[in-house]
Amino acid sequence: MSLPPATAQPTPPPQQSQGKAKFTVYTIEECPACGQKTKRGFQVGDYVTKDGANCSKCGNVTKMTLIYAEPVVKSK
Amino acid sequence: MPTLANMSLQFGGDVSSLLNIVWLLSFFVFIVYGQRIQVYIVGNDISRALNRLKLMKDKSRKEAVDYFTGTGKTAGDPAQRIDEFLEYVTIMPVDLDPQGIVGKIEHITQTRDERVRSEVKKLMPNAEPVKVSVAENILEIAGSLNMIHKIVRHYYLLGKKTNSYILLVQLQMIMPQVLMEADALVNAVDTFKLGQPVGDGIGPIIASKYMAPFAKQTVAKDTVMTVSEYKGRTLYTLKAEGPMGYVGEPGVAIQRVIEEMNVPLNAIIMVDAALKLEGEKTGDVAEGIGAAIGGIGTDKFRIEDVSAKHKVPVYAILVKQSILEAITVMRKDITDASDKVHGLINNLIEEKTKEGDKVLLAGIGNSLGVGQ
Repeated sequence: MSLPPATAQPTPPPQQSQGKAKFTVYTIEECPACGQKTKRGFQVGDYVTKDGANCSKCGNVTKMTLIYAEPVVKSK
Repeated sequence: MPTLANMSLQFGGDVSSLLNIVWLLSFFVFIVYGQRIQVYIVGNDISRALNRLKLMKDKSRKEAVDYFTGTGKTAGDPAQRIDEFLEYVTIMPVDLDPQGIVGKIEHITQTRDERVRSEVKKLMPNAEPVKVSVAENILEIAGSLNMIHKIVRHYYLLGKKTNSYILLVQLQMIMPQVLMEADALVNAVDTFKLGQPVGDGIGPIIASKYMAPFAKQTVAKDTVMTVSEYKGRTLYTLKAEGPMGYVGEPGVAIQRVIEEMNVPLNAIIMVDAALKLEGEKTGDVAEGIGAAIGGIGTDKFRIEDVSAKHKVPVYAILVKQSILEAITVMRKDITDASDKVHGLINNLIEEKTKEGDKVLLAGIGNSLGVGQ
């Protein structure tokens, strides 16, 4: 599955619920050359160490370094 | 003719006598039938919890069937085969004579795992290894929920049948914990279906950082290793093969490195997730000594055995999390600990070993969503 370029307008990542808590899962892509980090919504098929999109800063192929969930903050 | 005041006095007296009688009667009823009333109340409480467990069990079974038919493209209806899996039993070896029991347990669990994997592969012949491993994990979850439901139902019915207040009250007391674990298992299904790393995968994530650029070799079933160099030391890093949902055989792997590959290790560093106690923060990091590995105990036994035999110190680094966090999608609080863990690993290597030494780093846990 090809990933959208880092500069593309990100679509809001889908939320997952676990019991009463709601989470959004993100994938972090890191450029091994310049260290630039990009955070985007998790897509099925992502895994840590997989090649990501090209770096928006230097054009090198990024690596997925982390996948984690953050709780959804309710807007008041 | 009675006056109005006398009448009210007489009426008031009657009411208080009536109340006295009711009070005495209820006192008598509670003395004689108190336990039965409590059995009834406790029984109702457990019955409600049992209904929740049944819903969870049915949901996880449905998820398993849907995964096989949807993602696994299983031909025909896999429901009957899945139901057979859920009833699959593993008979533990006799422990009257405990000599050599770990080897027997290991043999039995390996046979079970191989059997489950081959059956899943038969049901999903064209599926990728990641999907096969996810199906194995989902089946294991559905099997655990099925077993929890059956055991709770057994004690509930036994308690009611024998009118055993003590049995029912004990069951009622542990029900919140049982439901909490069952809830965690149900929530884990979604994470597994999407192939996302779970909280237990923090060990493999840490190890993958040391492995990424180097050539991988398989050292045990579902377990990979790299050999690299860190500040003049030779670093052997191993983890379960990802991004499949495997836990590998780190015990066999470490034993093989020391005894078959004849690597004279100077230190073993193990990184694993650990269940936190109530009040502890998710993502807290603890250091210690000893084999940091859970499971049935066979891997731990091998590591302790081989490290003691060859006098290799074993250092442990633990990342705290709850049972729910360990089997559901990795939380940010847990990944935030990775920088601290890297620092501790580097410090341990630099302080406890010298240049030219050989160090083994093992990232213990489920490798779902974590490559190498």
